[in-house]
Amino acid sequence: MNGGDSPAIAFREVCRSFGGRAVLNNVSFQVGPGEAFCLLGRSGMGKSVTLKLAIGLIQPDAGAIYVENDNIVGMDEDGLSKVRSRVGFLFQSAALFDSFTLHDNLAVPLKRLWDKKPDEEIEAIVQKNLDDVGLGKDGHKMPSELSGGMRKRAGLARALMLDPSILLVDEPVSGLDRVTASEIDDLLLRVRKRDNTAMVIVTHDTREARRLGDRIGILNDGNLIAVGGIDELAKNQSPLVRALVSEAE
Amino acid sequence: MRRYLDFIGNVCLFALRAARRVMVRPFEFQMILRQIEVAGWKSLPLVLSSGFALGLVLALHTRTTLVQFGAEAVMPSVQSLAFFNEIGPLLAGLLMAGRVGAGIGAELANMRATEQIDAIEVLSIDSFKLLVVPRIVACSIALPILTVFMDVMGLAGGYLAERVTSDISVQLYVSRAFHSVSWAAFVPPTLKTAVFGAVIGLISSYLGYTTDEGAEGVGRAATNSVVLSSLAIILIDVVLVKAIFFLFPETAI
Repeated sequence: MNGGDSPAIAFREVCRSFGGRAVLNNVSFQVGPGEAFCLLGRSGMGKSVTLKLAIGLIQPDAGAIYVENDNIVGMDEDGLSKVRSRVGFLFQSAALFDSFTLHDNLAVPLKRLWDKKPDEEIEAIVQKNLDDVGLGKDGHKMPSELSGGMRKRAGLARALMLDPSILLVDEPVSGLDRVTASEIDDLLLRVRKRDNTAMVIVTHDTREARRLGDRIGILNDGNLIAVGGIDELAKNQSPLVRALVSEAE
Repeated sequence: MRRYLDFIGNVCLFALRAARRVMVRPFEFQMILRQIEVAGWKSLPLVLSSGFALGLVLALHTRTTLVQFGAEAVMPSVQSLAFFNEIGPLLAGLLMAGRVGAGIGAELANMRATEQIDAIEVLSIDSFKLLVVPRIVACSIALPILTVFMDVMGLAGGYLAERVTSDISVQLYVSRAFHSVSWAAFVPPTLKTAVFGAVIGLISSYLGYTTDEGAEGVGRAATNSVVLSSLAIILIDVVLVKAIFFLFPETAI
């Protein structure tokens, strides 16, 4: 994988099984720089596993995974750490650190990775990111004091702390009401427009996939059964693909 | 049997990993201090009250027997030797295994179940170094200090029991209590609790950090942390007592 216009993320014939059950089976796709790619499918089809593979939290049984120019399969912890500093991850549950305030949740990665930066500079970046997601006045709160939507926004703010060129997003609107879900989608669209961030968004919400994704991939039983724009998928021969896409009509 | 050997092997590998990571920057002083507060400072009321109560009860029981032999004058010595050599270190260790071990196991298992550990990793932070190493170091620093408090409160409880039945002064009680206690009888047994602390931190962290059972694993990690840490420190105590007798023969009374 060489060249300046290399994909942000590329999966090449990736396989992964758990306890003898194949969760991903020869999955290949790629996401270009600045592109938003939505992975759509029913629950338990391997969508979240795909994201964890993309950031090296899980290693595949076979295949190659490229993040920009680096194949992360078999990479050591130091190498993975460097790759991860270019990738943000918004977890389904936001995964905020329980014992830290919202402010400290955001400051931790900066303080750890930029130990020579003055505190004032770190403070300014934390405040800016909190303001960007509408939580500027909530920095002192503990995660347990935040609503579901606020936690998602806080998780997004933390994922963006290191100015990633790639953002992995796991079920951004699950468990949220329609209005709050729409606000989260607006935030993701704004981030993408502002920073030209490549995104891989895992969702089971077709409406969201249509709204956020340049292209949509359909995962079913560990296989990527279709990839394309929404109009292409609407004409797909598979009834499952058509059914998933038409849900939002 | 193989399951137990697997567990012991994995804990040993976990310990080696911790030993290697403790030497590597950043040294996590802030996290260590924070964990010393959790493991040490917040355990202090439990240790003080338990030490005092046990000292009181031990003195009441021992006195009855010693009076039969007309040896009640050695009561303070018996109390101090019992606490310094064994009761203080072991009881402080068991209390820490119960209070802190369960807390570490549950906290780390909860962090694993709610993807907080994954979140640390994706932020390019070494989660093992940030979460596990400070807990082990903090437990091994906090427990010897707690043991000293336990010893002092055990003697205080013993004095109260003596005071109720005789007119012994504080000065005389202290003088008799420390008459037969050498540094060798106090320092090695107190320092052995650093090993107990490390074992509690290690086993609890291992069970919490490596759980993969989701929310169900949180309760299991907490329970197993207490059971296995307690068992481990009792077994290790046997080895350490023999080692202390070997290195400091004068302590073998």
